[in-house]
Amino acid sequence: MGDGTPSEDARAEAVVSLTGVYKVYELGQPVPVLDDLSLTLAEGSYTAIMGPSGSGKSTLLNLIGCLDAPTAGIVEIDGRDVTTLSEDERATVRGEKIGFVFQTFNLLPRLSSLENVALPLVFRGVAREERRDRAAELLERVGLEDRMDHRPTELSGGQRQRVAVARALVNRPTIVLADEPTGSLDSETSGQILDLLDRVHAAGNTVLLVTHERTVAERAERIVHVLDGTVESVEELGGRRTASANDRWT
Amino acid sequence: MDVIEALRMSWRSITDHKLRSALTTLGVIIGVAAVIAFVTLGASLQADIVQTLAGDTTDVMYVSAESQTEGEIGVLPSRGQAVFTDRDVDRIRRIDGVENAVPVGGFATAGVAHGDDTVGRQFVTVTTPGYFGVNDQTIVAGRTFRSGQREVVVNQQAARMFRGNVSVGDEITFTRAGSGEELNATVVGIAKSPDRSGRVQSLVGDDRPAIYAPADPYYERTVIAPSTRSEQRVYAQVLVRVDDVERIEAVQGRVYSYLTQRSDARVLKAQGNQFEVLTHEQIVDQIERISATFTAYITGVAVISLVVGAIGIANIILVSVTERTREIGVMKAIGARRRDIIQLFLLEAILLGLLGSAIGSVVGLASGALATAVIGLPLEVRPIWFVVAVVVGLLVGIASGLYPAWSAARTDPIEALRHE
Repeated sequence: MGDGTPSEDARAEAVVSLTGVYKVYELGQPVPVLDDLSLTLAEGSYTAIMGPSGSGKSTLLNLIGCLDAPTAGIVEIDGRDVTTLSEDERATVRGEKIGFVFQTFNLLPRLSSLENVALPLVFRGVAREERRDRAAELLERVGLEDRMDHRPTELSGGQRQRVAVARALVNRPTIVLADEPTGSLDSETSGQILDLLDRVHAAGNTVLLVTHERTVAERAERIVHVLDGTVESVEELGGRRTASANDRWT
Repeated sequence: MDVIEALRMSWRSITDHKLRSALTTLGVIIGVAAVIAFVTLGASLQADIVQTLAGDTTDVMYVSAESQTEGEIGVLPSRGQAVFTDRDVDRIRRIDGVENAVPVGGFATAGVAHGDDTVGRQFVTVTTPGYFGVNDQTIVAGRTFRSGQREVVVNQQAARMFRGNVSVGDEITFTRAGSGEELNATVVGIAKSPDRSGRVQSLVGDDRPAIYAPADPYYERTVIAPSTRSEQRVYAQVLVRVDDVERIEAVQGRVYSYLTQRSDARVLKAQGNQFEVLTHEQIVDQIERISATFTAYITGVAVISLVVGAIGIANIILVSVTERTREIGVMKAIGARRRDIIQLFLLEAILLGLLGSAIGSVVGLASGALATAVIGLPLEVRPIWFVVAVVVGLLVGIASGLYPAWSAARTDPIEALRHE
């Protein structure tokens, strides 16, 4: 792995794999957004995606997050081809395998922290007791054990994003997708959230971070530069390696 | 998704917009309340009629000649055409199964005087001495009048009508309306109204002051009877009592065929008029039909307000869907399927519908109870209405929530997440 083209060896431990993916939007005339893009994310890896706006990084994130399907090519999550799934099937895959962290937190305003964190499990039909236990445990891990019954409006931006991180982890996802997770935060709080993502990664989770800030991207093990709908270059940063899957943080 | 959890979320969305939810449910509240109130009123009225008339004096029939206007009650006093001659009454009395038949007619007076007190505009019922037996009226003091004598019987209400109550032996004077002729009479008896109470009594006129006088000498309305070519008195109504209630229908048939085949009345009556021979039971039926029609009509109007209420709910859920587009996107991103989203919004609509129908039922029952109390009817409540109200609330909720919920469910999560 590393050159963006999946090899037989890499595929074995790949949790996400995109092969020759095209995405074309029909806006009066066809607008190609992704152009023969291939990318593999290994289990336990921490990858940052950078690219100017319009480069296709949002579309790439939507495809990996199963929010969208490619026009051509294959997207595999955990070895399963998700390319041709129906909308509801994709929703189920999202609920089981994806953890989203958004720039604007996207917590539900009428639910408490605990309920927000537990919500993905509601859609998966997990029993109430188990949902609460698991959500409470994660809120403790992100340091919000005393904010469980607060609504989002009663929390600071950093606290909200920590709730969102806890929510992203509640379903023990195959991959955590963080889309500009520090984009709405000041630099100090940003640092705290990036530290939190480091811990999430160190515990064995696969993390994909989309950002346009170099300093943020440098937290990852490698940076994938996207330009004009395809992988322009992959920058290995070395350093931290993942822990074994046995002591996953979640 | 867990229904309890969905309920909690929907309920929270309703309680977070209390004023909006209250205004939204108002349409349903008014609709359901109106239906329940009018149905309660209608049923109470019917119950009153059934209670007071059914099983009471069922051996009496009312004979009249009516213009055929749909839904009118033929027994109300002084209605119908005066066509029944003395001979007709006599012949009806002799029909097999008839115990007695008495003519009922009347005339208006400009005033009735007792001592130095005069009461204006009274109606004098003219009949024959047998009337009180046929109509189940007890003479509580004195006796019935005799034909050919200047004697009258008054009911208790009429006796109390004058300052210084009327008692047996008193003289009264009445002035015939139109001619102004003054007529004297001795009160020989005080009659009690039949033991019927409630609305029907006033419909039939039993609870009003009444003065009963013998046709001879007080009744002046006459015709040349076609059968005998002699002058005879002619009446608007004949009251018939049968000797066996079980055979009332057969007697009814015989009376009817006499009227249509051999009576004077058949010649005298106007072209468009028809004979009515009605038993108490049929009158009850008629009144019930009228009150049912009335109730159905009002209920129809109320149902319109229910429809308006449903549209209100649909409207507010649509607003709610638009407002929460981003939330829908988030829920979809974290694994909500279409049916989860549908469930949430549909439940919200159903909760609003049920809330409206529950409050509406209580308000409706209270209004109905108040109205019946004011009118003086027995309150009639049937639990089935509330079951129906709940079902209606459910249906209103489903009908109004289905489209908004469906449109929420097909929201594209990517678009929704971009939505501000």
